This record gives sequence, structure tokens and C-alpha cells, in this order.
Amino acid sequence: MHFGGIYEDEIVGKMYDRRLMGRFFPYLLPYRRLIAAALVLLPFVAAAKLVQPWILKLAIDDHITKGVMAGLPSLAALFLGVILAESLLMFAQVYLLQYVGQKVMYDIRVQLFSHIQRLSARFFDRTPVGSLVSRLTSDIEVLGEMFAAGIVTVVGDVLVLAGIVGIMLFMNVKLSLVTFSVLPFLIWTAFAFRKWMRAAFRQVRARQSNLSSFLTESIGGMAVVQLFNRERDEAREFRRLNTEYMESNLPVITWDAALYAVVETLSSVAVALIIWYGGGEIVRGTLSFGALVAFIQYIERFFSPIRDLSAKYSVMQGAMASLERIFTLLDNQALEPALLAPAATGAGKEKGVSCQTAPDEAGSSICFNDIWFAYSEDAFVLKDFSLQMRRGEKVALVGETGGGKTTVTRLLSRLYDVNRGSITVDGADIREIPLKTLRKRIGVVLQDPYLFSGTVAYNISLGDPEALKRVEKAAAVVGADRLIRELPNGFEEEVRERGVNFSAGERQLISFARAVAFDPDILVLDEATASVDTASERLIQRGLEGLMHGRTTLVVAHRLSTIRDADRIVVIHHGEKMEEGTHAELMDAKGVYYRLYQLQFKD
Amino acid sequence: MRTCRGAYLGGALLLVGTNLCGLAIPWLLKLAIEELQHPASGRFTPGQYGAMIAAAAVGQGIIRVFSRTTLLNAGRRIEYLLREDLYGKLLTLDRTYFSNWRTGDILSRLANDLTNVRMLLGFGVLSVLNTFIVYTAALILLTRISPFLTVCAIAPFPLMIFIVKKLSASMFKTSKRMQEALSRLTTRVEENVSAAAVVKAYCREDGEIETFRQACDGYSDASMAVAKIRGFMLPIMASTGAFGTLIILFVGGAQVVSGELTLGGFVAFNGYLAMLVWPTIMLGWILNLVQRGAASMARLGEILNASAELVEPTDPVDPGEIRGEVEFRNLTFSYGATEMLRGITLKIPAGSRVGIVGVVGSGKSTLVRMIPRLFPVPDGTVFVDGVDLNRMSLEKIRAAVGFVPQEGFLFSRSIAENVAYGKPGAGREEIERAVRIAGLAGDVARFPQGLETLVGERGVTLSGGQRQRVSIARALLKEPSILVLDDPLSAVDADTEEEILSALSGYYGERTVLIVSHRLSPLRGCDQIIVLEQGAIVEQGSHEELLELGGRYAAIHKEEQLKAEIERL
Ligand SMILES: Nc1ncnc2c1ncn2[C@@H]1O[C@H](COP(=O)(O)OP(=O)(O)OP(=O)(O)O)[C@@H](O)[C@H]1O
Ligand SMILES: Nc1ncnc2c1ncn2[C@@H]1O[C@H](COP(=O)(O)OP(=O)(O)OP(=O)(O)O)[C@@H](O)[C@H]1O
Ligand SMILES: [Mg+2]
Ligand SMILES: [Mg+2]
Repeated sequence: MHFGGIYEDEIVGKMYDRRLMGRFFPYLLPYRRLIAAALVLLPFVAAAKLVQPWILKLAIDDHITKGVMAGLPSLAALFLGVILAESLLMFAQVYLLQYVGQKVMYDIRVQLFSHIQRLSARFFDRTPVGSLVSRLTSDIEVLGEMFAAGIVTVVGDVLVLAGIVGIMLFMNVKLSLVTFSVLPFLIWTAFAFRKWMRAAFRQVRARQSNLSSFLTESIGGMAVVQLFNRERDEAREFRRLNTEYMESNLPVITWDAALYAVVETLSSVAVALIIWYGGGEIVRGTLSFGALVAFIQYIERFFSPIRDLSAKYSVMQGAMASLERIFTLLDNQALEPALLAPAATGAGKEKGVSCQTAPDEAGSSICFNDIWFAYSEDAFVLKDFSLQMRRGEKVALVGETGGGKTTVTRLLSRLYDVNRGSITVDGADIREIPLKTLRKRIGVVLQDPYLFSGTVAYNISLGDPEALKRVEKAAAVVGADRLIRELPNGFEEEVRERGVNFSAGERQLISFARAVAFDPDILVLDEATASVDTASERLIQRGLEGLMHGRTTLVVAHRLSTIRDADRIVVIHHGEKMEEGTHAELMDAKGVYYRLYQLQFKD
Repeated sequence: MRTCRGAYLGGALLLVGTNLCGLAIPWLLKLAIEELQHPASGRFTPGQYGAMIAAAAVGQGIIRVFSRTTLLNAGRRIEYLLREDLYGKLLTLDRTYFSNWRTGDILSRLANDLTNVRMLLGFGVLSVLNTFIVYTAALILLTRISPFLTVCAIAPFPLMIFIVKKLSASMFKTSKRMQEALSRLTTRVEENVSAAAVVKAYCREDGEIETFRQACDGYSDASMAVAKIRGFMLPIMASTGAFGTLIILFVGGAQVVSGELTLGGFVAFNGYLAMLVWPTIMLGWILNLVQRGAASMARLGEILNASAELVEPTDPVDPGEIRGEVEFRNLTFSYGATEMLRGITLKIPAGSRVGIVGVVGSGKSTLVRMIPRLFPVPDGTVFVDGVDLNRMSLEKIRAAVGFVPQEGFLFSRSIAENVAYGKPGAGREEIERAVRIAGLAGDVARFPQGLETLVGERGVTLSGGQRQRVSIARALLKEPSILVLDDPLSAVDADTEEEILSALSGYYGERTVLIVSHRLSPLRGCDQIIVLEQGAIVEQGSHEELLELGGRYAAIHKEEQLKAEIERL
């Protein structure tokens, strides 16, 4: 079986390093003081390092060689002090940089999360949960590794390097040039490796994300996997992804090891070159023996920061690959329609025309004016659909499954924007109403109830302080209060992820109570009682009677008994409005509604 | 770990090899310098020495690549095997387990904790080996100069080990705390993204960002606690080395003064001792890696050692072809403390049809979940074809049951793949037939890609009713002998319902069928109907019998009829 599933994360677009770093830099800016402090510590650490051999030399030359033990203890104390100072300074430096790293990661994480909140329903339709999880966790963790590797101290390494280069040139230009002759090769390696390494890291990140997507889905559907005896197949598929992931890591390891080895080898080759060249010079008498030995020692010092840099280099390539993914998501402009520039949405082009509202009526009037809508390209799900709802009116949408009823409710909440036509609320095009204002006015009972892990009270109020006050009343309205009070902890009863410890009907009641608790003036009930028994349904209807008064209500239902008291009934078929009228009118018309009704109550 | 023993051994040998080459270079250098100092005695020219050094360097480089890749690849390989074991384990765990765990938590363990373990087994092992080699080499050289001084130099080490041990325990705890915080953060993300529709509908974005911030705060704090301990190791390790040097300064100094030790020896000794400073500091880093890896391994162990309550029987009875007789004998069941099913006794002959009704939360789904053994059932309470369910292999019973859960779960694959989920490799015709019976054919025909339409994660790009019908088709295609339909038509209209019901009645044939429903229409044609209330059967009988009884069932019926009557007036 082939899996063309959506957990095939693409390798995201490449960005130029300079741009990447340019975008990353501003995240460091708020912490420039801390970074500066860490950098200021650098010379002190270096000094502490250099002082130690000097103290030892003093001890040997002035005391031990001469047999004078007198001043030794104070020198020893000094030595100890210097070492402690060095390690404390290092501690401070490491800690500061880790702190900055954590802060930066925190900032990026929160920014990315906030950005995701602004992305459109369309984006979520096609993006696997697991891939977003992996961006917000693993990808950002890789950035953390970059800080832990001391990327900020690269500046220090470079400075040390520059200093040593200066000294070497000062000591002997010719020998220096001989030494530096290996550098072009090193730089070439670094550049060549960068391309390969980055490609390998990109592969790693994408495959990690695939694993995560697969796993998320698999955990969610574990019951189905087990019910259908598909454990072995899923395990095989997992093995495939797992193998791909492991294999994508191997080149990374090889490139990293190769870079390490190249630097190490070149440092020895440089020494060899000096022996060969310097030896000749000494024979010819143009170079002193002492100068050669000293120079060889400097070569050691010269390569030490290069070695550090190369270690950081590969960590950095990994971080850059992650940054690419993070920035690509941040750049994703699949924002909620309302957050796009007004020009892009075509708001205001078509004004609501047919909606008239008498000012004294309560609630809101809603108009769908000749709307056309397609989820993708031009497979239109709604075709030329119109509907007028007066304030306080209760309108029912019925029709064949897959006909577009839920889609109508989504368009009203502006989860998607219509392709053609317009929707107005109280005469204002919803594209001109701030998204939050619009959505706060609408209380939706979604067709698929979703419960969060938390308590029952949290699930009804979603943490909103206003809604929290109305939790019990809302539960009473939908007749869920008795049920909830019977739970061991009542409203504080724990709800597990997705509400698995509640029955489907209970979940639906809680999600219904949620809509009521938010006290909206437009109520949208999408199959809100589909999983509820007849007796409970009657309870709900009674509870709602008072509540719905003065609220504009859009009800979607297959059970026609639930909509008998609707002011108007609209029948949708394949995205088109087929019939509209009161129950009596539609029964008289003997059309689709009449047939549906007969079917449901035959017996 | 065992499987990679060879790799580790090879890696260690290669590492010794690189270090030998590495040591050869300073030795050649020394010879070269001596040669330059006294050109007369020359065995080789400086150029030849240079070539030898270069050769050793290239050798070192090549072996280095192999030693590192061997060891690090071994780490990756173990990570791979562990991940596979973990997933394999998850596949065997039951509902009870998953309802107690958060998806994000499991995700985080399989990603982040596994990374820590890999770091330990890759870089960690590499560094341990390297440090060990350097220590051994240095100690050999040191003892050759002066065994007594060597003992003095390493005297502070036990103290260090003691302190580090103390630190290790808290390192373990803080690392664990950090990983837990990361799990919580992952859980927040997972839940938020899954619930995007609710978050948007209720404008909870700001609230979500706030709770996410808190999760990030928790993680940052825990990370800093780890960083603190890790940073704290630095001074400890550094001062241990310094103490050694200090002791040497005094003891060795005195020996030099008294003439027991040559000055050259003393200087050389100090030089070698300095070689140990970096590995010692490294040791602190390794310890941190070890503790982190151990903490993470412990968390992975929680998955690996989890035991499912639902176990395969040790000596499964094979009832042969399952006919589909189901019997409950005084079945009592509870998810936790309260009993959700009480004293259920019910016999369903093979090939008969049973309808189940009852108010919300009365235990209907719980009852039907017992048949494919989604939850552990007590011995001697559920029988299929006269065999205790607990003595039948899971695979056997699940193959015989076609189950349509109340809330269907679809995979983000094509409709065809979802329908054929229970029977991989099913032919086109079979799939189309199942789709037709489930009343989905019309919808599929309207999709531009037909059966190949991808349905999005959990089927988000289908309508509620379409999703439900895919899940019905999936169960039908299996051709099960027991068909369990848990409120299967709650999301479809009367027209489609009628269509499906009439197609189904042709499909039922010899199959045993259990249908749960809130509406009575799908129960038409059931041989017996039971009414559940608070987990107990309160009414039982055929449609007519129950109407005659005039109890709860009759009341539901009357209600439905009454509504119809009112409307007809
Ligand atoms: N997110 C989506 N992306 C693409 N297509 C979608 C999406 N949601 C729904 N559709 C398609 O749009 C059509 C209408 O779906 P909608 O959910 O509005 O139907 P509905 O009338 O609510 O049906 P039901 O009664 O089954 O809930 C269906 O054919 C469905 O496959
Ligand atoms: N996994 C679970 N863990 C703990 N309690 C559970 C679990 N599943 C269900 N319950 C509880 O058991 C009771 C019966 O649930 P069940 O799903 O069987 O009800 P139901 O009759 O199917 O209801 P509905 O008509 O709403 O589908 C409910 O009160 C529910 O809260
Ligand atoms: Mg719908
Ligand atoms: Mg149920």
C-alpha cells in the first residue's frame, strides 16, 4: 500500500545565510547587554588562563630551583585563586549565554505560536498537527544547541585568531605565509561542506517532522489500528519513516567527522610544512633555531580556535536549517482572511443589499447574498446561495449530508471567505467587522465536539472569566447539570484529552453548554443534538426556548423534530437552495422537505 | 545496546588508532627538532621529517573519520532501534493506557527524550572513550616519571567524585523536570493545533498564547536550573585539577630541592598533568550528559515497561470460523471506580440483530466496546461462539468484528485507503461495493478525484456525514461475522439513512448485528431491542413486545410519533 498521506513534509525553501542571520540578529538585540557582559568576560578568562603557567614558572625559577620554599605558599594561594576565578568567570559566561539562549528560544517560540494562532482554517485543513508540533519543539531545540555550543563566543574565537595571526606575521612573515598556505584549502572545505551539510540537515529536519506527524496521527487512531488488526502494517510504515530519518542523519555525522578530521590534519600538515621549509632556512642560516621552535608552538595556538570554530560550524549549519523552517512558517501568509490586507479580500466590493432591519428588534440580522464558495479551486460547494434572517429569527438548514450546511456556518464565522457574493450582519459586510467582534457575537456548537484536557468547568468557559460565571446556568439550560453534578467532582471533574472519559452525548452537551455560556447574540447549532437521546433533546429544547428569545439562531439538523418550531426552514441540496418556507408551507409544497419528513416519521 | 557492541568495540579501537597517530606527531616533531639542533647526526632531512609528519596527520585524519562515524552511527542505530521498540510497544497498549496519557507527552518522549539518550550513546560514549584514553596515556607517562607524585596528583580526585556524585542526583532530578516541562509544552501545542476550530470560534487565541507562555516559562526555568548545575560542575572540575598541580608544586618542589627529582622531570611532570586539565573538565560535561540521558531513559522506560491491562491469552482457544453468537453473562464493568455496566446478561444468537437504546451516558458504547475487547473484561462474562473472550486471541476476535465507532477516526490518506483499511489489497470492486452500501457513492462521484480524494488529518476535509459513512464502509468491507454499529447514522439525513438501511438489510445476511441508536428508525427489523439505563438492562424484547410493555422504549416511540402527529395537524 502506498501512503501519499499528508505527513510528507516538504523540504522548505532555502534562504541565503546572510538573510537568515540578518533575520535572526534582531532576536538577540534585546539581550545585547547580557551578551556584551559575556563578551567582556572573555579577556578575563583568557588572562586567567595565561597567568597560570606564568605562576608556575615563577614558582619553579624563583623557589624550587633555588631551594627557597619561603614564598611558595603565597604563590600557591595565588595559583588556586586564579584557577577559581577562571572557573567562576567561565561559569558566569556559560550561564549568561545559556540564559540568553533560553530567552531567545522563548521569544521565538511564543512568536511562532502566536503566528500559528493567526493562520487560516485552510492552513489547518492541510497541515498535519505533528509537523507544527515538531517546529515548535524540536526545531527550536536545535537553536538551543547552538547557544549551548557557545555560538556567541565565536566573536571571541575570531579575535583570538586575529591576534595570533598578527603575532605570527610580526615574528616571521615568510613562515607565516607558509603556514597560512593551508588556509585556502580549509576555507574551501568549509564552504563546500556547508552546502552538503545544510542539505543533509534540511533532510533531517523534514524527516523528523514526518515522523512526528505520523506518530501524532497514529496515537490518535490507535483504537482503529487495533480494531482492524493493522498493527503490523503501521509498524512497517513507521519503520520506513524511522529508517529514512536515521539514514538522513548519517551524512550529517560523516560531514561533521570529516570537517573535524580535515582541521586536525591540516594543523599537523602546517607543522610539517614549517619543518620542511624552516629546516631548509636553518641549513641556509637564514632562520634561528629558537625562532622555528617558537613558531611551531604558535601554530598550535593558531589552530586551537579554528578547531573550536569548526565544531561550532556544524552545529550552526543544523541551526540554520531549523531557522529556515521556522522563518518559512513565520512567513506563511495563509493568514485568517480578516488579517490580510483589505485589498486582498475584496471587502466592500459588493455591499449587502437586501437586508433591512427594524431598529427596535433584538439580536442581529444576517444576510447571505448570492454567495459562491469553493474550498479548492472551482469545485463549488455553495452555489448562488442566499438567505435572509431577521433579528431574533430561528432559521433551520436541512438537506442531504455533504450538501454544504456546515460550510454555511463556517462562512458566517468567517473561517473562510466567500468567493463571490457577501454576508452581512446587521447590514455590515462581515469583511468589514473586526474578526473578534464578529466571532464574539456568534456562539457555535460545532458538529464535532472537541473537549480539552482540564476540568468540565474549564471546557464550558474555556478560561474566559465572564463565561466562567455562567457555567452552571449554561449547563442547566442544556440539561447537563444533573449529569455533571452526578460526577464525583462535579464541575471540577477531570476531562482527559479530547474528552475520552465522557460519552459522545456527554461531550456534545458540554460543548453545547459552552456556546450558551458565552452568551452570544447569534447562535449557530450545527447538529448540536445529533448524539443525544430524545428525552435529553426535549430538555434542551425547553431550556433553549427562553434563551433563544431575541437571539438570531441558525440550526442545522437532520432530525426534523428538532426544528419543528423554526420560523423558516431552508433546504440545501448540493450547495444550492432548493426550498424555503415555514414547515407548513414546505409540507404543502410536497417537495424535498416533505419527502424527508415522511421518511423520518413513517412506521 | 548489545546489538551495537561490535560497533562500539571497533570504534574504541579506531579511537586508540587516531590517538596513536596523534601521539606520533609530537614525537616526530621532537626528533625533527633534535635533528635541526644537531644537523651532523642526521638520519633524515627536515623535508623527510615533514613528509612523515604529514603522513601521520593524514593517517590520523582518516582514522578519525572512521572512529567518529562508527561510534556516532552506533548511537543513531540504537536510537533507531529504541524508537522502533517504543512504537511497537505503543501498538500493544490498550485504551486505558492511552486515556491516561497525553499525545503531546508521548510525542515529546519519542522525540526529545530519545535525542538525549542518543547523545549519551553517541557523543557521550565517544567522549568517555577519548577521556579514558587520554587519562590512561597520561597516567602511564606520569608514573614513569614518578609514581609517588602521580599518587599525590590524583589524590583530590576521590573528593571530586564524591561531590560530583552528590550533584549527579540533583542533575538527574532537574533534567527530568526539564523533560517533563518540555512534554507539557509539547502537549499544549498539540492540543492547541488540534483544536484550532474551537479556538477560533471562541476567540481564545489570546488565552491560548497566555497558557503557552506559561508552559514556555516552566520549561525555561527548568532549563536554567539544569544550566546552573552544569555550570557549577565547571569550577569543581577545574579546581580538582588545580589542587593536583598545587600538591605537586609542594611535594614535587621539595623533592627537587632535596635532589630526589630532576628539574627536567618536574617540568615534564607538570606538562603531562596539564594534559589532564581539559579531559577533567570534559568529564563534568560527560556526567551531565549521562544524567540527562539517564533521566530521559527513565522516562522512556515508563513507556517500554508499561503493561497493558489487556493481555493476550497464554493458551488461546481457536474456535475456528466465528459464527457470531455473542453472550454476556452477568457482566459488570468499570472504567475506574464507578460501575458503568451492571449485571448485563444477554444472549445474541448468531445471525440475529440487536438494537440498543438508552439515554446519554447509559453505557451503550461501553457495552459494545466489550465485544472487540477494547477494554479488559472480567473472565467468564463475555462469550463469542461459546468461548470466553479472554481465551481468544485478540487478532482472531478483532478480525471477526466490524466495528463502527461512534466517532469515526479517519487517516490522512485517500478515501479508498481508508475504506480498505481493514483489508489491505482489497480490489476496486469490493471498495466500490462497500462505498455503495454505505451510501457514499453519490458523494464520491461528485469529488473530482473520486475514491482517490485525500481526506486530511482525521478526515477534516469531509463533511460530518461523509466521515461517518466512510467509517461504515470501512467496517463493511471487512465482511465481518459480527457487525457493531455505534450510533452509525447520527450525522446523516433521513433520505440517505433510508438508502443506507435498505442497502444494509441486504448486506446483513448471516451476520450478527448490534446497532446502538438514539433514533428508532435504524432499529427497524431488529430481532430484539434492549434498553440500557445506568449500565443495566431495564427492558428487553422485540419492538412489539416493548411497545406492549409500555415502558421507556414505548415512551421514546410515542415521543417520536407524537412529534410527527403534532406536525401533521
Ligand atoms: N475543509 C474542507 N476542505 C475541503 N472540502 C471540504 C471541507 N469541508 C467540507 N468539504 C466538502 O464540502 C462539502 C460540504 O461539506 P459540509 O461539511 O458543508 O456538508 P454538510 O452539509 O454539513 O454535511 P453533513 O450533514 O454531512 O455534516 C462536502 O462535499 C465536503 O466534502
Ligand atoms: N474511557 C472512559 N473512561 C472513563 N469513563 C468513561 C470512559 N468512557 C465512557 N465513560 C463513562 O461511562 C459512561 C457510559 O459511557 P458510554 O460511552 O458507554 O455512554 P453511551 O450510552 O454510549 O452514551 P452516548 O449516548 O452519549 O453515546 C459515561 O458516563 C462516561 O462518562
Ligand atoms: Mg455538517
Ligand atoms: Mg455512546
